[in-house]
Amino acid sequence: GILAHLERLETQMNRSHKRFEGPQRTQAEESTLGTRIHKLRLLRDKLRAEVKQRQAEIEASAASTEPDQTLETSEQEVLETKLENLKALLQAYHFTGLSGKLTSRGVSVCIHTAFDGNLLDSYIVDLVIEKPLWIHHHSVPVFIPLEEIAAKYLQTDVQHFLFSLCEHLNGYAGRKYQADRLQSDFAAFLAGPLQRNSLCNVLSFTYKVELGGQSFLFCARLLYKDLTVTLPTDVTVTHRGTDALSTSWEEQRVSHENLFRTTSLHKAFTSFAGGEKLNMSL
Amino acid sequence: MDETVAEFIKRLFLKIPMTEMMTILKAWDFLSESQLQTVNFRQRKEPLVQELVLLCEEKCASLNDAALLDIIYTQVHRHQKLWDVFKMNKGPVLTGEDIDLFDIEQFKSSFTKILRKALKNVTVSFRDAEENAVWIRIAWGTHHTKPNQYKATYVVYYPQTPYVFMSLSRLKRNTPLLDQALMIASKHHQIVKMDLRSRYLDSLKAIVFKQYNQVFETHDSAAPLQETSLWLHTNMDLRVIHENKVEKERVQRVTQETFGDCPQPRLEFAQYKLETKFKSNLNGGILADREEPLRCLIKFSSPHLLEALKSLAPAGIADAPLSPLLTCIPNKGMNYFKIKDK
Repeated sequence: GILAHLERLETQMNRSHKRFEGPQRTQAEESTLGTRIHKLRLLRDKLRAEVKQRQAEIEASAASTEPDQTLETSEQEVLETKLENLKALLQAYHFTGLSGKLTSRGVSVCIHTAFDGNLLDSYIVDLVIEKPLWIHHHSVPVFIPLEEIAAKYLQTDVQHFLFSLCEHLNGYAGRKYQADRLQSDFAAFLAGPLQRNSLCNVLSFTYKVELGGQSFLFCARLLYKDLTVTLPTDVTVTHRGTDALSTSWEEQRVSHENLFRTTSLHKAFTSFAGGEKLNMSL
Repeated sequence: MDETVAEFIKRLFLKIPMTEMMTILKAWDFLSESQLQTVNFRQRKEPLVQELVLLCEEKCASLNDAALLDIIYTQVHRHQKLWDVFKMNKGPVLTGEDIDLFDIEQFKSSFTKILRKALKNVTVSFRDAEENAVWIRIAWGTHHTKPNQYKATYVVYYPQTPYVFMSLSRLKRNTPLLDQALMIASKHHQIVKMDLRSRYLDSLKAIVFKQYNQVFETHDSAAPLQETSLWLHTNMDLRVIHENKVEKERVQRVTQETFGDCPQPRLEFAQYKLETKFKSNLNGGILADREEPLRCLIKFSSPHLLEALKSLAPAGIADAPLSPLLTCIPNKGMNYFKIKDK
């Protein structure tokens, strides 16, 4: 900084003293350098004073309870903080999959669905801001109860409407993802087609289980009575066959029921395939 | 193979245009690849059909197989039928029981059982279609007569939605039974006929599920939408000056706000049954000053009604904004109106 600069100048001066230069020249140099030093020192002191003052101001404003600053600047700061908070909130919402954009008549909300770390389909709802609020058009699938959700919340609490719709769409997307994965990746395990409905909230399938050389067919029926969930609310695993199951097989059947209740479908089948034991102690 | 089934299949083949024959046969998936390869598709229709019927006999085609072929033909030629739209309601909902645990196999067996119980002679066939829709074909008979395969009713149901589309049946006496079977099998309490009818099944579906106007402002790009102008072409003759440019732009804007930018769903008519007092600008006349309402029926017909309405204001034929009675058609899902004085 400035002090180092001054040091350099001093050494330069000392060196020039050692050279055989005329005293006049040396003197002239000395005086120019001297004035320069003087100026730099003044600048340094001025900057130091400014820094001290700023520090004092900050400490003063932090310590004081009364607004010492003028009303305008404090209001502006408040608004700026609010804006920053809103921007941060919108960004946070964006991470939850909800984004909005102003349109000529209202707002267009885009809901991005995701499950298990995978980004899935997006759905758009165009709202017209009038009294009453209404849905202009949308790309939500026909079997999602959009009309019901709108009837309950749209007029009274738009946020609740959006969150409820978000939950339904994410629930559907997650269940569909699991069903699709089961059909595509684990077709070898299935004995017969996977039965599913539009909402993917009733899934039935028959699958092969092998244990110690024996193999059996199990029928699973998964019901998702809550449209916002991705894990089934009811699971029944039955044995396909006439003879009763031995105790070890009965244990298998019960453990499969628990597995389907607590893990997503494709993960459950991955464990069947890999023979890994999933930690089921919850 | 039964003679009636053979005759039915023969008539179905004769209905199919030659250009569609291969696609429909493949969709039917009844005759094998090797069998189809033995057929000369370049010959005239009559001998071709005879060959195909023989192949079906070899494979012992049943009535159900023939019914499936009929469904496929109808799916391809769906605008040959006039479709009605029905909405089902679940009735008073008990908490915890309102989730629709729809099982397609349960629905199909329940539906068939109800019809068979009431009418001994009935042919019921199902075929799944796009977007989880299920097409149902019903051929009606009575306790004493076999089902009439040539006057089948078609129902298109979208499970886990309240909507059903039915082709108008000339055998009206079976409608209550059909309604009941649909309601019970799909666990609804009520079925109501909507005032919406058209040949274009896909348009009806778009209206009812609000799937028209599917172009949304993109959420990712910040680029503004392209302005599409119907009448104000900038590359027109410079010697032409639009005196009423402002008005034209206003009409343009209002039309775009009402109808949107995208193709409209296709309807052929809108019908208004008026029971209102006669209003006239002219003084006198025998219809004016009457207490009783004037009953009249106004029907708008067009190959594409909504596009025609959309172009009325820009063409200068009507004022913008158009009457809400005309513009509410897709939003309300109606093209049959009854209007009375308030």
